[in-house]
Amino acid sequence: MSAAARLPDGQGSPVIQTKGLDLFYGNFQALKGVDLSITEKKITAIIGPSGCGKSTLLRVFNRMNDLVEGARVTGSVRLDGKEIYAPGTDLLLLRKKVGMVFQRPNPFPLSILENVVFGLKIHHMYRKKRGILYEMARKSLESVLLWDDLKDKLGRLATNLSLEQQQKLCIARLLVVKPEVLLMDEPCSALDPMSTSRIEELMQELKKNYTIVIVTHNMQQAARVSDEAGYMLLGELVEFGRTHAIFTAPRDKRTEDYVTGRLG
Amino acid sequence: MPAWKKIREFVAEAAVKASGLASIFIVALIFYFLLREGIGLFQAYRLPDFLAGKNWYPISDPPEFGILPLIFGTLLVTLGAAAISVPLGVAAAIYIAEVAPSRLKEFLKSGVELLAAIPSVVLGFIGMVTVVPWIKTAFGVPTGLTALAGSVILAFMAMPTIVSIAEDAIHSVPKNYKEGAYALGATKWQTIYRVVIPAASSGIVAAVMLGIGRVVGETMAVMMVTGNSASMWRGILFPVRTLTATVAAEMGETVQGSEHYFALFAIGVALFLMTFVINMTADMVLHRKRK
Repeated sequence: MSAAARLPDGQGSPVIQTKGLDLFYGNFQALKGVDLSITEKKITAIIGPSGCGKSTLLRVFNRMNDLVEGARVTGSVRLDGKEIYAPGTDLLLLRKKVGMVFQRPNPFPLSILENVVFGLKIHHMYRKKRGILYEMARKSLESVLLWDDLKDKLGRLATNLSLEQQQKLCIARLLVVKPEVLLMDEPCSALDPMSTSRIEELMQELKKNYTIVIVTHNMQQAARVSDEAGYMLLGELVEFGRTHAIFTAPRDKRTEDYVTGRLG
Repeated sequence: MPAWKKIREFVAEAAVKASGLASIFIVALIFYFLLREGIGLFQAYRLPDFLAGKNWYPISDPPEFGILPLIFGTLLVTLGAAAISVPLGVAAAIYIAEVAPSRLKEFLKSGVELLAAIPSVVLGFIGMVTVVPWIKTAFGVPTGLTALAGSVILAFMAMPTIVSIAEDAIHSVPKNYKEGAYALGATKWQTIYRVVIPAASSGIVAAVMLGIGRVVGETMAVMMVTGNSASMWRGILFPVRTLTATVAAEMGETVQGSEHYFALFAIGVALFLMTFVINMTADMVLHRKRK
């Protein structure tokens, strides 16, 4: 298959594949013929200057663009081989499978526990047994390394936590419903460098079990954390490949201009 | 800094400070006046007889000034109005803020504002010619001038306050909370009741409290439709009389300095304390939420 051939290191199966993906906001074309393939259990970074369409691309994968009035998608977007823009797609199930972390940490103004188990409740994924919610919350807080800090404070308001803790909580909130893909939209841009590095460590831990797509305008971050990377400019995916190759031997002149700092 | 600038700064600061203090001072004065006139009653009349007395016969001989039936009337009418206006008002606010298409939203918002602009006497009048006869026939009671009629009319008065303040609160819930819920696969309704309403809860409580505060203090409309009979414990389909209506109806007929006159001021104090407690409760709820 051509998509598999596109894979730079020839291993891992594709989770998300797009072909000829166009996205319009009214008359404005925000994405132009994007072809890419996101590999399972890898971190894929999408880089590019502001307004290049990288966040828009990310929001195609969980159909968050549906919330934008006048947004229209054409072309093929497959998740596990199934067209997610086909009529009859279960949007709620899709978003359960493809979780999203936002630029500003956005825990709900509820208790920490309520935040973690939110997904279980809306997807009716728990039996009405005492302690089971707590148990599932514990597991997912442990996997984002928050449990030891927060186990005695589960009743506290989540919005009073530090930004780093809030962002980790937002990740824990996704893990509890067992997603396949985690979309991260500039997850560290509100955080200080130390917090950023801890979130990046966490991402390395998470990629053992999840496929991660991260959008960032921080090239160093993309270089540090990702296995594969794509460079976007004015709605086009200019280049896509192994991160190392993108940064050391870009094939396209425009990519080179960006990664060497001549454009940005 | 040149001297004239310093003086200007000083004058500006002093003026703002004085305006701030003036409002507090005026409230304190009003309360002092109310208390002074109200306390006059208790030189001759016992406080327990006033608060717990079951009869309000101000012009009998000897007069009786028991305000229990009036408190009962106020509570009954207020609770009835709250039972109608809170669910309706909050639901309307949710609809306007979250569900209605934007054109309808603007239309509904101006409609609610129009409702707030209706003078209470007009509402009372409408109540007299529509709600009162309707209650009379619908429930087969001898008179439609009942606590229920008061509750219905007051619900209309509380509704604009509740709807517009609650709508503001719901509308100002940050967009990223909703985004977070949608991104987790929540439906629109799940997002509304699990995220938006909890996030707006302090504003919604404030809206409800302000609405109820307006109901407790309302006089004219309630006087026109409740029948003004100072009697107790009979229920929502019987005439009642509220604290406010008593003061308004009787103040014109009393002799200044008489026991009756002082008794009406004492009612004013009681009313003041009731609204004070409501506001305090609202405040405490707000602060607990913010913690």
